[in-house]
Amino acid sequence: MRHKLVWALAWISAWLLLTVAAAVALGTAELQRLRERFEADARVVHRLLSLRAVEHETILATLALLDVPGADAAAQRLPAIYPRVLAVLRREGNLPWGDAARAEALASAEAASRRAGRAWGLVSELGEGRLWVVQASDQASHALRIDLAGMVRAAEWPFAGMDAVRVELSHAGHRWVIQPGAAEQGGWRFQFDKPLTVRSQPFDVVAERRVGWSELPWAYMGAAAALIGGVLVGAALLQQQRVARRRAEELLRLGQRGRLNAMGEVAAGMAHELNQPLTAILASTRAAERLLRDDPADVDAARGAMKAAGEQARRAADVLSRLRRIMERPGGADRIEAVDLRAAVDGALHLVEPQLRRLRIQVRVQGQGTPIVMADPVALDQIIHNLLGNALHALEQVPEPERRLSLTAGAEARDGWLLVADSGPGIPPALRARVFDPFFTTREGGLGLGLSLCETLAAGMDGRLELAAAGDPRRVAAGMPGAAFILSLPLRHQP
Amino acid sequence: MSDAVQLSPLIHLVDDDEAVRNSLALLIGTVGLRVRTWTGPDDFLAGFDGDNVGAILLDVRMPGTSGLAVLETLAARGVDQPVIMMTGHGTVDLCRRAFKSGAAEFLEKPVDDDLLLDTLQKAVRQHVRSRERLRADRIARQRYAQLSEREREVLGLIIGGLTNKEIARALGLSPRTVETHRANLFSKLEADSLAQLIRSYAQLVEEGDAA
Repeated sequence: MRHKLVWALAWISAWLLLTVAAAVALGTAELQRLRERFEADARVVHRLLSLRAVEHETILATLALLDVPGADAAAQRLPAIYPRVLAVLRREGNLPWGDAARAEALASAEAASRRAGRAWGLVSELGEGRLWVVQASDQASHALRIDLAGMVRAAEWPFAGMDAVRVELSHAGHRWVIQPGAAEQGGWRFQFDKPLTVRSQPFDVVAERRVGWSELPWAYMGAAAALIGGVLVGAALLQQQRVARRRAEELLRLGQRGRLNAMGEVAAGMAHELNQPLTAILASTRAAERLLRDDPADVDAARGAMKAAGEQARRAADVLSRLRRIMERPGGADRIEAVDLRAAVDGALHLVEPQLRRLRIQVRVQGQGTPIVMADPVALDQIIHNLLGNALHALEQVPEPERRLSLTAGAEARDGWLLVADSGPGIPPALRARVFDPFFTTREGGLGLGLSLCETLAAGMDGRLELAAAGDPRRVAAGMPGAAFILSLPLRHQP
Repeated sequence: MSDAVQLSPLIHLVDDDEAVRNSLALLIGTVGLRVRTWTGPDDFLAGFDGDNVGAILLDVRMPGTSGLAVLETLAARGVDQPVIMMTGHGTVDLCRRAFKSGAAEFLEKPVDDDLLLDTLQKAVRQHVRSRERLRADRIARQRYAQLSEREREVLGLIIGGLTNKEIARALGLSPRTVETHRANLFSKLEADSLAQLIRSYAQLVEEGDAA
């Protein structure tokens, strides 16, 4: 339980970690993309505004160049062509500037323009969105009054409709907000700050882009989390499956060992139960012998000893008959039912599949039809399992490429049969007669009860378990050089 | 501890199986050994009196722990009787553990009569010898304790192989005085000959020197 919890926590932590990493990567990439786009757009804005500013200079230069009588009227038409040009002022000789309120400011700008030999911008009204550009000239100086808002046309404005972007022009403490942007808290800020390259109007173009949390690619992040989750769940399931499989294999192994242990216990118990009376018998008879050898012989004591020995012999016999009663399977005949021999073989093979794979044994299952036999399914399983176990053990002793196992099922007259043959070393002819004897074994640590038990089980089902004779056609057909056993069981009566 | 008890060794037979107990007791009795039977470890440990000369024949039940536990308890009590273990289900491991716990012998049931009786008699003889050695040793110690300081010095030099004259020179005494000491210590130690003196007391003198 605790183990499971630890695993679950580990998987969840892995998922969290990977998801966070993916989200950070996705978010960073998105921010990078937004920043690049913003900077490209800001550069476009900077270029647009530069063009407009240059236009102002060009207009003034053209006005100065074309300054002939009557040109004033043409100048007055300028606002119609350039809507942002609100007014065009002209000053000649020692006359003051037409706009009395700004005459002084315009005069100083004109002086500056004359000194610099180029147009001069007047930014004092920047806050109201107005700009004056003055060009001094020998004949007549001109001044343009520009509506800053008119410098920007919605169609060419890259930040149109973007609330998150603020753009302003600023110079010497004066500023004009072109696009206010929504004041949003939190998130990230990108900034762009670059002065116009036009010397008469050297405003800083300041753009700021705010990226709120809501702009992060949440959908992709969610998808990534789901994807990672999916992959991890798959991996967890795979892992679980592997663990479950390993556990099953272990259980199988333990079960087999457990059965052997149980048999060992029975053997040990039997040994002890028999040893006690045998010890008493031996001691009593030897004592009697010695008593009779004495001179004079103590016949009475010897008689008592012999009587005790006889009682102990009876006790030993009782132990054995009790053991036999325990070993007898209760109600054997009740469990007989129709069993598909092929299905039983498949089931038994499935149980030893891990060993088959480990030993790289080539298995061939053949059959003529599907014989249905009358058997106790548990006993049948036990017999086949035992035969397979013996075969696997034999095949361990031959090199890998030669490990072959053949199982053939068939029917003959009133019997269904199963041949289990292997390519192992086989059974030496001298031992053939003894393989079914109880406690006969060639395995180190073996009890020698397996085949004996199987034979008993087969007989209990009115069947037989025998070694296949060398010339048996069924064995010849299997073509296996090693041991071959044939289990025969009565076929189901055809109605 | 009287000599009479020592003369008739007693075998303690511990086995929970009555038939085994009776038959083995009868068998052991045929060679003149007395047998006292016990029905189990608890019974035995409660009633056992270690004064007798003899041996203990102990059945180890299958799982093996109880018999070994008895062995350890006996060892802790300082029991010096040799213990012979018997089992119907002997494993090499059990055997090794039994010897490690101080068993004198390890027999498998059913046990051959000659082997059993030989083993028991050998064990008894061994115990008798060890008890005799113990007794002689105790007597020697008692006698040695009666010697004076000077007599012990003289005894050490006698055992060292020096003649009276040499001893007199070594200790700055007259040969006559040495002669007197020599006679006294022979009488106190109840030694009949120089050979017996050396055999019985060489060990003690060595211990005294070491102390």
